[in-house]
Amino acid sequence: MSLPQLRLSVIVPARNAASTLGTVLTAVRASQLPPNSYEIIVVDDCSGDASAAIGARYADVVVRLNGRVAGPAYARNRGAEVARGEVIAFVDADVIVAPDTLPRMLAALDTSPTLGGVSASHDDEKEAPNFVTEYWNLLLRFGEERYAAGRAHFASGCGAVRREVLESVGKYDEWRFATGCLESLELGRRLHEAGHDVLLDPALKVSHLTRWTLGSVCREVWSRSVLLARSLGYQRTRALIPGEVVFTLSRALTPIVAIGATLSLAAAFLPGLYVSSETAVALAVLLLANHSMHGFFAKSRGVGFAVAAAPIHLCVQGVSAVALCAGWILRDAVGDIVPDATTQAYSEVGLQTWPPIPRRP
Amino acid sequence: MLAPVVGTAVQTFWFTNQNFLSTVTMTHAILDDSPNQMPTSPRRLTPRNSLIVVLPENHTISPAGLADRLPRGDTSDVDVIVACAGQPVNLHALQRTVSDAQFLLAPAGTSMEDLRELALQRAPGDIVTLLSGALIDASASEQAEILKSS
Repeated sequence: MSLPQLRLSVIVPARNAASTLGTVLTAVRASQLPPNSYEIIVVDDCSGDASAAIGARYADVVVRLNGRVAGPAYARNRGAEVARGEVIAFVDADVIVAPDTLPRMLAALDTSPTLGGVSASHDDEKEAPNFVTEYWNLLLRFGEERYAAGRAHFASGCGAVRREVLESVGKYDEWRFATGCLESLELGRRLHEAGHDVLLDPALKVSHLTRWTLGSVCREVWSRSVLLARSLGYQRTRALIPGEVVFTLSRALTPIVAIGATLSLAAAFLPGLYVSSETAVALAVLLLANHSMHGFFAKSRGVGFAVAAAPIHLCVQGVSAVALCAGWILRDAVGDIVPDATTQAYSEVGLQTWPPIPRRP
Repeated sequence: MLAPVVGTAVQTFWFTNQNFLSTVTMTHAILDDSPNQMPTSPRRLTPRNSLIVVLPENHTISPAGLADRLPRGDTSDVDVIVACAGQPVNLHALQRTVSDAQFLLAPAGTSMEDLRELALQRAPGDIVTLLSGALIDASASEQAEILKSS
């Protein structure tokens, strides 16, 4: 088959993403790129819905993974294996790119030969469908803008990396990260350690379609925090991936203070109790410690939004603190994250199958 | 062999090239929304590849241009499906050229997106490549222009 090499391969991992995938792929197709210079690869990670069928409506290649859910790191690696582009861009199945996002990423890579990867950040101008979603997107944007810009922070929500660079560092760590969230940061760290610049460009903005609730935000923060503390270690990676939401949440104060403040606040709402001076002091410390973030919220959405977001942030911060502690305990008690025993055994004997057994980077 | 299904959105005629050439009769089936259209296969060591060539309605693709994009040599490990909206005028020539391919004929008026989706449901591959017939001819003409000018 005479399929020529392309400039860009856009890989979209999808898992039960039928509700958003069509919109996402339409946006990619609307990119200001020559039609025959890029391809779209959708990797369907054992979806139970019509993700693969919707992917086929827009994509050039559909990779169907069967068996069991393997996670976005694994899915992206399978997509990268069939990609023909010199540059590989990863776009999540809930991320809307602007028409100039991908061309600007290519231009950034063309301009700087030492740049290994470039990624976009959250759009803080687009209005979200609900308050919690707005809070979450702004929190991520704050972390990216304040702490991550100019550091080794790669975001796979929308990020591009040179194909040869990606292959040289062993692609995503599908061995340890079967669930999403931190695999991109870990990849960014390895790219940085291999001597490549990694740029998170705040000027490149993409919007996310995921609708968050307080429960889903807390679950996400819990998952990220436990995974981070257990797999990477907290202190070791703090300097390298400072834009991660966990660091954004825990940067201003120690987790103990966060837990104390959360418990004090909860006690204040119990019947028969009153807001003690200790609670008031804890709250004041908390607000003061987070003043830069609350200031960012006020500047972006107004003082009313910042005030309304304060209790949500307190709750999320408390979840993060407890989860970090849980992750540290798990790391000491159980050790680093590894796949299940069967996968390890198959890997040990070098079993060949499709889809392949997860590999170490 | 017609199997009418209630609630079908798109009526599609599906036949294999081999059947067409040998008996000049088409095996008809009507796609429904059931997910069991894709043939099941045993566990494999390597991914199974499928190639879908999607031809727009009233589009005449040259057999040579189509053949150029198809796998050469032993094609037993690649399932080739040519999906068309309506019956292409040079269907026989295409079938002679790509004798191993399966042809998916959808009714005239079927959109390209629907055609791609229907073809994917029929493709057994783990890795499915979708090619647009319009682009095949475009790139062929581009190559011809390049050859002329060089």
